[in-house]
Amino acid sequence: MSTCDHRWSMTDIRSGYLVVEGCYHCGARSSFFSTEPVAPVDEYREGDHFWEYRGSYQAVSFNLVCEKCGQKVDLSDMAGLMLSTCTDPQCTVGALAASQPPGTTIYVALCYDSSHASGHCVSDAGITALNEYFNQRLRSGRRRIVVVPCSMCDDLDRCRGIVLADTGLTEL
Amino acid sequence: MRISEVVDTTALEALNAWDDDDVAGVYISDMVSDIITGAQAGNVLVTLQTHKNLIAAANLVDVAMVVFVRDKRPADDVLELADKAGIPLFVSADDTWTYAVKLYELGMR
Repeated sequence: MSTCDHRWSMTDIRSGYLVVEGCYHCGARSSFFSTEPVAPVDEYREGDHFWEYRGSYQAVSFNLVCEKCGQKVDLSDMAGLMLSTCTDPQCTVGALAASQPPGTTIYVALCYDSSHASGHCVSDAGITALNEYFNQRLRSGRRRIVVVPCSMCDDLDRCRGIVLADTGLTEL
Repeated sequence: MRISEVVDTTALEALNAWDDDDVAGVYISDMVSDIITGAQAGNVLVTLQTHKNLIAAANLVDVAMVVFVRDKRPADDVLELADKAGIPLFVSADDTWTYAVKLYELGMR
């Protein structure tokens, strides 16, 4: 375990598209990050899945690196962040939000496999570093950011929140 | 510099309740994906965007205030979210460039 009191900064910042796909055979959903100039919209078969394009959003991907010790945390398993507005006490995230002091905002780190069929989500190391990074940036103790993995949401399809992606540029 | 100085000098209209605070630096962007990687805590965020995503990004990076240019005004649910997050929102009739020049002349860098 590192003894460094990490001071995180963003690295490997890449702009691109968060592309969402759905399988018209089984209804599964998936997403990936693309740095191509135009978001790919191809349909293709992958095993039992028949993926088709469902939408894309301009987004950004990044990793975190400690300015002191050089440790790097890979966040390639994170598709984006969502400000949680969940107030459902039956949901783990909603219950967590209700137990926080004023000034605390919950952000959900979204992975690419929203169904978690693979058993994977954003890594524990990634969640820890994200919490440290965003709270280190705050000006004072007035505000606090809590980042949780999307696997903590009881039902991501019904989860209420605001995704940090550029979905509204056509609404200027 | 303080928020009140920016408000008075650049003729901003407040859209919600605010407390005076320090500001440091300016960030101009209309993309939330850019704001979360480029804006710094304490910045004046100047933007055309008035949707909730903007507030979610502004809260994450802890900007001191948001200025909507060209008289863009957010919907009530956006104001409600900003109030909950404690983010002061203001509006200017200027376009982005004209407003940026005003901030520069005020000494902001």
